[in-house]
Amino acid sequence: MEQVIANGLYLGAQYALVALGLTLIFGLMNVLNFAHGQMYVLGGFITYVVYGQLGLPFVVAVLASGVTLAVVGGLMERYLFRTVIKRSHREESTMLLAAATAFFFDAVILLVFGEKQRGVPKIVKGVFNDFGVILPYDRIVVGLVAAVLILGFIAFMKFTKPGRAMRALAQDRTAAQLMGVEVDRYTMIGFALGAMLAGVTGGLLVSITGVNSGIGGPISIKAFMMIMIGGAGVVSGAIAGGFILGMMESVGLTVLREYGDVTYLVIFAALMIFLSIRPNGLMGKPWG
Amino acid sequence: MTQILDFRNVDLFYDHVHALRGVSLSVNQGETVALIGANGAGKSSILRAITGLRRIRSGEIHYDGQRIDGRNPADLVKAGIAMVPEGRRVFPYMTVKDNLLMGAFTRTDKAGIAQSLEMVLTRFPRLKERYGQAAGTMSGGEQQMMVIGRALMAKPRLLLLDEPSLGVAPKLVQDIARSIVAINRDENVSVLLVEQNSRMALRISQRAYALTTGVVALSGNSSDLLSDERVKSLYLGGEL
Repeated sequence: MEQVIANGLYLGAQYALVALGLTLIFGLMNVLNFAHGQMYVLGGFITYVVYGQLGLPFVVAVLASGVTLAVVGGLMERYLFRTVIKRSHREESTMLLAAATAFFFDAVILLVFGEKQRGVPKIVKGVFNDFGVILPYDRIVVGLVAAVLILGFIAFMKFTKPGRAMRALAQDRTAAQLMGVEVDRYTMIGFALGAMLAGVTGGLLVSITGVNSGIGGPISIKAFMMIMIGGAGVVSGAIAGGFILGMMESVGLTVLREYGDVTYLVIFAALMIFLSIRPNGLMGKPWG
Repeated sequence: MTQILDFRNVDLFYDHVHALRGVSLSVNQGETVALIGANGAGKSSILRAITGLRRIRSGEIHYDGQRIDGRNPADLVKAGIAMVPEGRRVFPYMTVKDNLLMGAFTRTDKAGIAQSLEMVLTRFPRLKERYGQAAGTMSGGEQQMMVIGRALMAKPRLLLLDEPSLGVAPKLVQDIARSIVAINRDENVSVLLVEQNSRMALRISQRAYALTTGVVALSGNSSDLLSDERVKSLYLGGEL
């Protein structure tokens, strides 16, 4: 039991980070970023190269992942999404654009990094074994870093001026404009920040699960499930969704193991029923 | 008297809808000017043009001696134009405090912002009681007070008010009217007031313009317009 909870918390923290990035982009621009999982993968490969290949410190590698993805995200907003949103009158246009960028990233990642599963040397050795919980130290470190990043993100959105500006933009774009918020600038910052969160998580996780060019799509799907559970565009919803999915996965892998690989089958079924009852997710409101 | 706002011969379109047809109006330093007229007459379009939310097709807008049409909204807030939008547009999931602070978004003078906050909370004591509450949970009247306070947080020299009496309990309309008069008197701010409640608007303003389908139909001193037969039948519903 303790083991299941510990695994769930560890998974939940990393999932919540991914979901936060996705929900930030959605809340600000109404864009469903299908390429979110690919951004995670790109972050993973950057850490693989910087830490695993070049032998630089892990922290530097994760920072490199974050910075690169922030730049990529910023450029995507500036030159792709902003242009399409200004020119198009249909919401679907940004969805198609997002899907196209996802395929594009998949192709580029495959071309540059190949199709092999890649891992890196362990960042911390040893295993924690007490209170009925067995958890490798590196997972504990990654889980804690993820938790700190989540808290940092919340503090940033709540207590800083750019954070307030982005919340205002998500809640009422016109009113935010009338307060003097430069819409283009803060939308770009938000997109960059969302992409950065995906990249950082990918970088962190490469030290544990490794990375391969094919996992972008599945990770996007998980991220979408989390924000469906929590409610799109809500910080607390993304966090709740992340931890709920992490817990369900952890419970499923223990309890349902004997029935074969059915955990996600059950989760998908549960999600469909849940959404038919509460289509807006748990916290169906923007930016609470 | 110096003009703080000079709106010259402006045309504005929404796609093919000709919303403003050669509209000219002005606001003098320290004045409260009312814009009255039916729904869809173009009152809000004038405010959207002034704040830069909408581009004008032709004509010129001057503020404080400078041409401002074509400039972006953030620039104009910095220059001292603040707007209370129609339907209030609070940030519903932010606290009253954060809403008010958003009003001061373009300012960097910490001491000045604290002073404005103090002034707003003194003027609207209700907001002090609701300070940590999410703005969306307040009543219409309270929200209206908050968005007027939010606009004042920018320390504006020209305050644009779009239908501040809309969706507000009748008892509170008087309060809001009084606040507008007091703000205009105490805060060194000129006011352009758009209202469907024409009687209230004419009572608290010095001059007024009446709009019909994108054209200025009548203008003059508010007290004259209040007793004008045409205004009575068109905008005041006949009885007085």
